[in-house]
Amino acid sequence: MPRSIHSFVFAGLSASLLLTGAAILEAQQPAAAPAAAAPLAPPTGDATRGKGLFEQTLRCYACHGFDGQTGSPRLVPMARSQEVFLAYVRKPATQGMPSFRDAAERDLIDVYAYIRSIPTAAPAADSIPLLKSIVDRRTAAK
Amino acid sequence: MSNSTELGRRDFFKNAALGAAGLVGTTAAAGAAEAPASTSTPAPPSVLMPTEAQEFGPLGRPTTATAQAPVAAVQAGAAAPTPASDFMVDVLKKIGFDYAAINPGSTFQGLHESCINYGQNTAPELLTCLHEEAAAAMAHGYAKAAGKPMLTMFHGTVGLLHSSMALFQAWADRVPVFVIVGHHRNPSGVINRPHSAQDMGSIVRDFVKFDDEATTLERFAEAAMRAYRIAMTPPMGPVLLTVSAELQESMIANRTSMRIPELVMASPPQGETGAVREAAKLLVNAETPLIQIAKMGRTPRAWDLLIELADTLQAPVDVMGYSSWQKFPSWHPLYGSGGRDYTPDVTLGLEVTDMSVQARAARASGKKTISISAEHLFQHSNIHDYGRYADVDLAIGGDGEATLPSLIDEIRKLITPDRKAAFAARGQRVAAAHKQAQIAAIQDARHGWDASPISVPRMIAELAEQVKNDDWAVVSGHQFTGDWQRRLMNHDKPYRYNGDCGGFGIGYDTPASVGAALAHKKAGRLSLAVVGDGDLNFSPGVLWTAAHHKIPLLLVVHNNRAYHAEVMIIQRMAGQRGRGSSRSHIGNVFTDPTINYASLAKSYGMYSEGPVEHPRDLAGAYQRALAKVRAGEPALVDVISQPR
Repeated sequence: MPRSIHSFVFAGLSASLLLTGAAILEAQQPAAAPAAAAPLAPPTGDATRGKGLFEQTLRCYACHGFDGQTGSPRLVPMARSQEVFLAYVRKPATQGMPSFRDAAERDLIDVYAYIRSIPTAAPAADSIPLLKSIVDRRTAAK
Repeated sequence: MSNSTELGRRDFFKNAALGAAGLVGTTAAAGAAEAPASTSTPAPPSVLMPTEAQEFGPLGRPTTATAQAPVAAVQAGAAAPTPASDFMVDVLKKIGFDYAAINPGSTFQGLHESCINYGQNTAPELLTCLHEEAAAAMAHGYAKAAGKPMLTMFHGTVGLLHSSMALFQAWADRVPVFVIVGHHRNPSGVINRPHSAQDMGSIVRDFVKFDDEATTLERFAEAAMRAYRIAMTPPMGPVLLTVSAELQESMIANRTSMRIPELVMASPPQGETGAVREAAKLLVNAETPLIQIAKMGRTPRAWDLLIELADTLQAPVDVMGYSSWQKFPSWHPLYGSGGRDYTPDVTLGLEVTDMSVQARAARASGKKTISISAEHLFQHSNIHDYGRYADVDLAIGGDGEATLPSLIDEIRKLITPDRKAAFAARGQRVAAAHKQAQIAAIQDARHGWDASPISVPRMIAELAEQVKNDDWAVVSGHQFTGDWQRRLMNHDKPYRYNGDCGGFGIGYDTPASVGAALAHKKAGRLSLAVVGDGDLNFSPGVLWTAAHHKIPLLLVVHNNRAYHAEVMIIQRMAGQRGRGSSRSHIGNVFTDPTINYASLAKSYGMYSEGPVEHPRDLAGAYQRALAKVRAGEPALVDVISQPR
């Protein structure tokens, strides 16, 4: 939980941190963009080791959730190639994303492999009865 | 303790120690009380604090007698004396306080005793709190839900200092809280002295709207009425009244002769007619007006007025961020900021504290901004909660809610058939854009739906499902749950959401939720709170208060085992400095050992469930806990959650 106004303001202003409403939708677009024209090459790293780095060392979970899906932006499906991913995390384009320029290349390759290993298909909202009932109520609202 | 006459912070034995002196507080008075009682003439009754004229004399300066012996004296020939604090309770009853949240202290033991015995512990009923911050935060949450302040009573200096954080939050949230703080005018002993101050109000003066010290009973009555009126006049805020133990514990010779003034409330300030007319003109002629609201909605009437304004203009209503009281229905077609392509040409801010960003952007692009707010009429100068200077085109000093009827009238006068048709077309476009965006936003909850730890939207959605047929009220803020409450739960009543903390400090949510739940209890509403584990740890003792006073409330702990935003900001800081993220948990995460909030709640006598780690177990946990809440008890569900 945010401890102070300082952290709150920081988080509120960061493109990938505590976002709401339309801002969340917008922020989620880059990482979870529609599939690129060409299929991505398979990852070369160790996904199991990458999971440990994701959760325990590099702590990517902090913004993106333990499964890369519940935070913002979502990381799955991963739209970037391994090469582009490595370049991005070392020199992020947004202020909210921490720079991992000091991280070992091997570590980042393993994290990439872990992200690519996460099942990508979230269930359709209509297939979740509870969620569908909320959508139906909102749709019916005047 | 080196001196037997010294008073401990929570020393309930003073009266016994004083023996026959009883409630008479000075040496002189005690000496009089100890005089032989079996004389041919009745024992002389005590007299209270001197009257204002007696104390200050014709020139308004303290008299020598007052300065030397400001408490009880003895006069002959009057009726049996009554404690002065009984009179104070009469004043508090006349104001109409239902509750007084306290943590006990010897500087207000006179009032404490009068409340429970003379006042029969009703109106106000004392709420036993285990920390003054929790007491003040309860009053904060209560005031927003009840529409009236809760009384709080605190011990001199130490109690007030403990409460100060919550008073700051109430100040920043523009919420009335009524504080009485005790002290000693002539403290003796090493314990009493630190509980007294030359200027008690200065401790919190930067974030209370008004403070006063009552030195006579007449002044107590007037100051209490004045303080209440000031607290409730927009912009609202906490008020503080200092009352010495000596005054509380002195005696009144003739209670019936003492008058309590009537409580006369001030009408809220309303925007000047010409300025309101100008605002109406701008709004009617606008092609893409936007209404923004923040601390808007002192009473349920604002809810209807805002709907009326939005419907009349067919303009979107942006409820702003976490500082908003959000008094507009979340599934209303006009709820939102108009959609991605909607660029406002006139922005109307209603009780928006800081419109500087909107004003600068508008001036740079030829757009207009209007601010209607009581904030223009009153500010303190130290804490920067007032934000940056906003060079809006039209700044109207007046309460937003009180000004809306005339604004709506003026708008209606200016609407031509052409404008009405344009409004209708605009409203349809906006409603369609909002609906599409909101449904997509609800559907976003599918991501991580079955994840463990449990996703925040799953945590909220399961709760929404369980209470969909209840008359519920979310009494916690939502800065730690994003806007999932707004997305997934139809806020279709003015009491559905109680706003956030105001000052963006942690420790508000749990006690404020208990206070708000107390307000909803009378109305039979089902109170729900989703509080962070970090927040709960600031005042867990309030769980006992909720259990003890049987305040029905479902507390869901969003347990991500960290001050999570801080994990992120330290990661960012370390990244900027090229030092990696591997240590970002230090100082931010509490996992070794983990804290079991269900066990914590049980230890305070509250029903609890959890920790719930898998989403499949949520519905059952909620059902069992809600059964307790519907039966009139508080209950807690500890949910192991995703970071955010």
